[in-house]
Amino acid sequence: MSHNKPVTLDELLSDVSSVPSLPLLYSRLDETINHPRSSIADIAKVLSEDQGLAARILKLANSPLFGYFSKIDTVTQAVTIIGIQQVRDLALAISVIGVFKGLPKDLVTMECFWRHSIGAALAARVLATSQREANLERFFVAGILHDIGRLLLFMRLPDLCREMIETARNSNQCLHELERQRLGYDHADVGGALLRRWKLPTRVTEPVEYHHRCNHAGQFPRESAILHCADLLAHALELGGSGEERVPPLIPGSWERLTVSPFQLPQIVAQIDNQLEEISKALGGAVT
Amino acid sequence: MAIIPIDLLEAGMILKADVRDRSGRLILPAEAELAEKQIKIFRTWGVTEADILHGPDGTDIEATRENSEIDPVVLAAAEQAVDEIFRLNDVQHPVIKELMRVCLARRLTIVAQ
Repeated sequence: MSHNKPVTLDELLSDVSSVPSLPLLYSRLDETINHPRSSIADIAKVLSEDQGLAARILKLANSPLFGYFSKIDTVTQAVTIIGIQQVRDLALAISVIGVFKGLPKDLVTMECFWRHSIGAALAARVLATSQREANLERFFVAGILHDIGRLLLFMRLPDLCREMIETARNSNQCLHELERQRLGYDHADVGGALLRRWKLPTRVTEPVEYHHRCNHAGQFPRESAILHCADLLAHALELGGSGEERVPPLIPGSWERLTVSPFQLPQIVAQIDNQLEEISKALGGAVT
Repeated sequence: MAIIPIDLLEAGMILKADVRDRSGRLILPAEAELAEKQIKIFRTWGVTEADILHGPDGTDIEATRENSEIDPVVLAAAEQAVDEIFRLNDVQHPVIKELMRVCLARRLTIVAQ
């Protein structure tokens, strides 16, 4: 892999052996949910097949994200109360965390990476709540997945990534711009392409793909803008990290898409801080 | 004067513009004088800021020195760290400005603990 001839996005994703796939359980869950004759009991049954997943869903359902506080004690109840789509999105977030393993530790630790992702996920959810958006879990899952392309880059091109992180540290350029210069695409493109391969819905793949150029998003510019601002918040609050060490520049017009006054930031930050520990714990078992 | 966040509003300030809640309902009209009770009502209705004409007795509101009680060395170190992580951003943008203020305060509370 010489620097003169960068790996193309297709090449990066075509190597089946190193591109992780989604757990089979998630596709079964998706299939069950989409089947017109499925009942809530069927969905709960699929979820319960993976005890770890079921336990984490219950933990999340009882966390401050939903505010039912330890009243949900069966998976069926969780599906009924939180909603089928929401549970699907949570299951996706939980499954993905377990998928990536064996990364070069000097680039980023998994703990640090997921802390950043969970931080961005919570920030996206809190921002979306303030916008009175429906189906909040899609923001959560987009936040969890937003830097996933970087994991793939770290796995496939560790030396180039190490060099780019070093260059970014000593210059006034941010990492995603460097990636674009060297490779012709950035980690957001890689993430979007990977999620499309996993056949995830556009409402998740597009915000991930455009979180560093949210003004170019065609179908979901609002969602992309929320994700961009959420990423910015997670960086500003120094919650974990994913290689980038500074706050990426705010894209002009992205914050303005949200009707949030800058003076609401203290409350937003307080909400993120309050929820982060508990949510990390609920998702925690998967982060190893 | 300027738009002031709710935490810095004080009784006696005069409003420059109407204060409305999120749905646009009028809560207090322009030129009214604030009292503690009204600031409480603002909070109840989720108002986060108010456009203020001038402070009590016609004084201009000075930029508040909120970090004046903190050890200058600690403060300078925290400010430098926050400036560093925001280096790629336009620090004059209102959102970034407020975010930096929040980050600085957060950093100082973490240090204090």
